[in-house]
Amino acid sequence: MKKIKLTVNKKEYMLEIKEDTRLIDLLRDVLGFTGVKEGCGEGECGACTVIMDGDIVNSCLVLAFQADGKEIITIEGVESEEEIHPIQQAFLDVGAVQCGFCTPGMILSAKALLDKNPSPTREEIRAAISGNLCRCTGYNKIVDAIERAALYLKRGK
Amino acid sequence: MRLNSIGKKIIRVDGLSKVKGKALYPQDIYMEGMLYGKTLRSSRPHAYINIDTSRAEKIDGVVKVFTYKDVPGKNCHGVLFKDHEVFCSERVRRVGDPIAFVVATNKKAVEEAIEVIDVNYEDIEAVFDPLEAMKEESVKIHGNSNIIYHYKLRKGDVEEAFKRCHVIVESEYKTPMVEHAFLQPEAGIAYTEDDGTIVVCASTQYPHFDQIEVAEALEVNKDKVKIINPAVGGAFGGREDITLQIHLAIAAKVTGRPVKAVYSREESFLAHSKRHSMIMRYKTGCNKDGKLLAMEAEIIGDTGAYASWAINVLRKAGVHATGPYEIPNVKVDSYAVYTNNPFAGAMRGFGATQVPIAHEQQMDMLSEKLNMDPVTFRLKNIFKKGSKTATGQVLEESVPIDRCIKEVADRIGITPLSERGGVV
Ligand code: FES
Ligand code: FES
Repeated sequence: MKKIKLTVNKKEYMLEIKEDTRLIDLLRDVLGFTGVKEGCGEGECGACTVIMDGDIVNSCLVLAFQADGKEIITIEGVESEEEIHPIQQAFLDVGAVQCGFCTPGMILSAKALLDKNPSPTREEIRAAISGNLCRCTGYNKIVDAIERAALYLKRGK
Repeated sequence: MRLNSIGKKIIRVDGLSKVKGKALYPQDIYMEGMLYGKTLRSSRPHAYINIDTSRAEKIDGVVKVFTYKDVPGKNCHGVLFKDHEVFCSERVRRVGDPIAFVVATNKKAVEEAIEVIDVNYEDIEAVFDPLEAMKEESVKIHGNSNIIYHYKLRKGDVEEAFKRCHVIVESEYKTPMVEHAFLQPEAGIAYTEDDGTIVVCASTQYPHFDQIEVAEALEVNKDKVKIINPAVGGAFGGREDITLQIHLAIAAKVTGRPVKAVYSREESFLAHSKRHSMIMRYKTGCNKDGKLLAMEAEIIGDTGAYASWAINVLRKAGVHATGPYEIPNVKVDSYAVYTNNPFAGAMRGFGATQVPIAHEQQMDMLSEKLNMDPVTFRLKNIFKKGSKTATGQVLEESVPIDRCIKEVADRIGITPLSERGGVV
């Protein structure tokens, strides 16, 4: 067993974990953040994407103890108390959501991108979501949604 | 007429829960005191089996190991034929066939127990080539023939019409099986309600039919089975057959506790159907002006170890074999054939997706032989309003294929072959 301290969606947790626990299992099974999805368990699909200290990671490939001292954002931590995040709004408005299983990961990859680069090109958007598979949409609407989100975010400022 | 939805921008009802990560897929449901289940699957394509679960049963945390002996009712299921067994009793017919279902208080015990179930395989000759499987002398997968369906379409007189053809092309095409790879692997949870009703919560495309199949396997009335279909993470046809629904239902009924199972991606590949691979032999002919006169096709669909929707799929392949072209003389024979391959079933298009590989290539080869550009050639032959299909259907509503072809040709910048000096 190992003691770790981490922040998830702005809340701090002190936890005792097994050394071989994956971050995804900690987030889903222990902390209840089931918006983190498991599509492959081997770093291929990006459904398990979370933001760790500003960068996206596949939480199925990160061991929980590696998150010691880190700050994690899952899909549950993206919206504010009053309203959903502009990226979430854009996904809805554009129709970029079908089965929804890739959606949390897509939105987090988009957020990590837009936090650093508020005016990405379509190419940059495609590169930013290149680790996230979607089997339903064909991606175009997702790229449209992220472009639209960039506009919403600028307008909001 | 006032339309409430058509022409308006509508936001899907489940969109908000999905962008918030709040939509519940079965793997997101956790219940007090739940047990974990995992399936042991065949590692051989065709074998007689003998199962010994005693070592597994002794592992700390294991509640029960279910096999065919524990199915209270019918040990079978299937959308058209009841050719799947809930758990294989004597014989496995493909890699991935379910043999046992381990239920334990924790995931680790489940994994350990799966490893120590002894399955003694006595291999039987297997057949993987559908052409071989069609032969009388082939080993049989079920019953006494591997050919489970033959669809015949006859229109006019192809033999006579081929004699009148100026150009004829003949070729064979093969398409592979395809995996749906929906993003959410199969998962489910089952539990018993106070009045004894068994509830199975699983992503499915066919909840009302699952209810019947679960009830038959449990030997209870249909109204004692409830299927809950929460968010479905993609399906594309791959969730039309039973995977874990019956296993979970039996386990929940026998143990009296909620039982949950989540497939890995690898197990998902093994558990559900594939797109039918097809062998398509085509002969197509036209006159000097490029008018199609005759087409003959033989289509063989490999449905693997189970029929699933093979009959509907191969019928549809046969019905669509001409493509969107008017051909006065047509002969089609399509077959669905059992082999020891992974089983095939529904996948987007349902048999209409494979045949274009063949009929469109035929169109290109005919136009090349005629030295006519392929767009003009197609436009001469496509269905229009009032056309009659090979099955005798008169197309009375809009058939705007001409517009579609012209638009596509325009956008990809196809120059008619004649303007390129006749070279493709
Ligand atoms: S579940 Fe982590 S990348 Fe697929
Ligand atoms: S919406 Fe289904 S996988 Fe992307």
